Amino acid sequence: MNWEEDEEKLLPSQRPEWSDVSPLPQDDGPNPVVPIAYKPEFAETMDYFRAVYRADERSPRALQLTHQAILLNPGNYTVWHFRRLILETLSKDLQQELDYVSKIAEKNSKNYQIWHHRRWLAEKLGPDAAGRELKFTEKILSGDAKNYHAWSHRQWVLQSLGGWDDELEYCHQLLEEDIFNNSAWNQRYFIITKSPLLGGLQAMRESEVKYTVAAILANPENESPWRYLRGLYKDDPKSWIHDPQVSTLCLKVLTSSGTNHVFALSTVLDLLSHGLQPSRELREAVDTLNPNSSSTKDSLGNTICSVLEHADAMRVNYWRWRKSQLIV
Amino acid sequence: MAEQPLDLDSSPSTPGEQEEGEQEECIGKLLADSSFERERHLMFLQMMYQMLPHHYQSQEINRLTLAYFAISGLDIVGSLDTVDKDEVASWVLSFRAYPEDIAEINDGEFYGFNGSRSSQYHSDDAGGFSNNHSHLASTYCALAILKIVGYHLTSIDWRPLLMTMRNLQQPDGSFLPIHIGAETDLRFIYCAAAICFMLDDWSGMDRDKATEYILKCKAYDGGFGMTPGAESHGGGTYCAVASLQLMGSIGVDPLSSRASSSILDIPLLLEWCLQRQASDGGFQGRSNKPSDTCYAFWVGAVLKILGAGKLIDEKALRGFLLTCQSEYGGFSKFPDELPDLYHSYYGFIAFSLLEEPGLNSICVELGITEAAASALRK
Repeated sequence: MNWEEDEEKLLPSQRPEWSDVSPLPQDDGPNPVVPIAYKPEFAETMDYFRAVYRADERSPRALQLTHQAILLNPGNYTVWHFRRLILETLSKDLQQELDYVSKIAEKNSKNYQIWHHRRWLAEKLGPDAAGRELKFTEKILSGDAKNYHAWSHRQWVLQSLGGWDDELEYCHQLLEEDIFNNSAWNQRYFIITKSPLLGGLQAMRESEVKYTVAAILANPENESPWRYLRGLYKDDPKSWIHDPQVSTLCLKVLTSSGTNHVFALSTVLDLLSHGLQPSRELREAVDTLNPNSSSTKDSLGNTICSVLEHADAMRVNYWRWRKSQLIV
Repeated sequence: MAEQPLDLDSSPSTPGEQEEGEQEECIGKLLADSSFERERHLMFLQMMYQMLPHHYQSQEINRLTLAYFAISGLDIVGSLDTVDKDEVASWVLSFRAYPEDIAEINDGEFYGFNGSRSSQYHSDDAGGFSNNHSHLASTYCALAILKIVGYHLTSIDWRPLLMTMRNLQQPDGSFLPIHIGAETDLRFIYCAAAICFMLDDWSGMDRDKATEYILKCKAYDGGFGMTPGAESHGGGTYCAVASLQLMGSIGVDPLSSRASSSILDIPLLLEWCLQRQASDGGFQGRSNKPSDTCYAFWVGAVLKILGAGKLIDEKALRGFLLTCQSEYGGFSKFPDELPDLYHSYYGFIAFSLLEEPGLNSICVELGITEAAASALRK
């Protein structure tokens, strides 16, 4: 591929090698709706693209033209499709094409077509591509640790091509950098449930609970690890309510002053709804937080909702509704 | 809904960002409008309808989607009389792909609507290869626009479209948007469901298989990711829940029923949705990400479907949205940025959900006004 910028700046009409081609203008019909004020450079590039596409010309110059069209409209799936046809016909080196995508992706890391093209290439290259793809997504994630496309691609690579070995460690690194990164927490869940190298959710639960509890105690206002903790007991509410680590955690958070208690409170509410028999200490910790001391005769659930109406005022309507739904 | 506009990501956030954001938000609020400026938005929409500035050329492939935003936007603000309905209908229908002959129905292609002229050619230009790049998202937008302008959909035989749409459904229940190959995710199940619903014909998809895939996208925290295993996401959750609603899998008033839905963990989903309202009053698309105008619809719509629309803090949401209202008309993604057509559309729709006077009410699962969705128009 020719990267020289001078080359890229020349439009087809300015290049002698295109003199044999008649550009095909867009036919917008008699009454176009929502017309776009195309710049001349865009219109001309697409007119030439239309011409080679119609003629099904799968040549090196056509390949270069798809590159120019992609720069102007990276979302154009017709152009990308034609590029793939040309790559196949010309038996182009797919590793080189991966280099091309890496360059283009720098400025377009949230474009669906680029990621799909990447997947198409990786599929063709097979399991050998796994390492490279994991490195590539790692690079994108180093610029934006929550890029949804990158995570989606990474999950696909792991499931289709392999490379699970260091994934849990990678998640840990990302969480060290930003414990609030919900994408990294989600990836953690993906690994412990899907990795063929680990024992599955139940087997991993013990170590994961310890990990998560530490994260929560460091930042109790962080929603992500609370959700993750709940997720560790998915489909197993008995273990959820009987694991002493869970209620101990809630108690710890609720008895710390100057701490955000919202998620601890909603977690206790959730535990109660699944049948938790609350300890006296838990009851007392919640009562201490209750601004309205005259309602000590209320159920614990009721008291929690009252506290949350103030502590989580954005959701006051919700906590009032939750209170109304409690079976007293 | 189409590929480019459903912007999965806000900008990257760091731990300190929320604090900074809150400071900026306070300053922004001091200068923000105090009301929804309908006249300004009308001018913005009329301008976009007349001519999209060259910045939109990079979204050229999704022209029909841009048209949907402009036309449906005009409908929401009560100014559909701006458009020439017959002109719009014939323009939209000009994007329709037809098989050359009925035998081609089994060639594996999808005969729906193209999204733009850049992927569409006259049939005599076809050459030796397929020039049909009908796309599910464009098809959804096309049918939505036709409904908005009151075109009688029953006047067309949609069987080729529906029969060939099945070609796009994968063994796992998900949908490709286009037969030449692309990513498969919840967005296209939504498009397929909306298409079947608008055409009142479910032969276009296997609903059970689609439901299976949707449920696989349920994340551990109650929301839905775009693909199985993906992080729960406002857009994915909308696609999942709206699809289930369209397919008839969610009962009336799901919140009230003691016997909650057998396929949805409604309490968990409800709490996930409500937790998306951040301290600045706006809605975020994912946990610990900045608020973005469009999630006021993606998440707000799910809450409405669940019957929980009133559980949010409407005043706080309004406040946030007003900081995203542009002095040029339209809405931006984040406070104090330039408006774009996509975020403007979802800003208008969000205000409709907040029952802003002068705005038409929305059929949330179709993303068009209730009047457009019902057959009674015109």
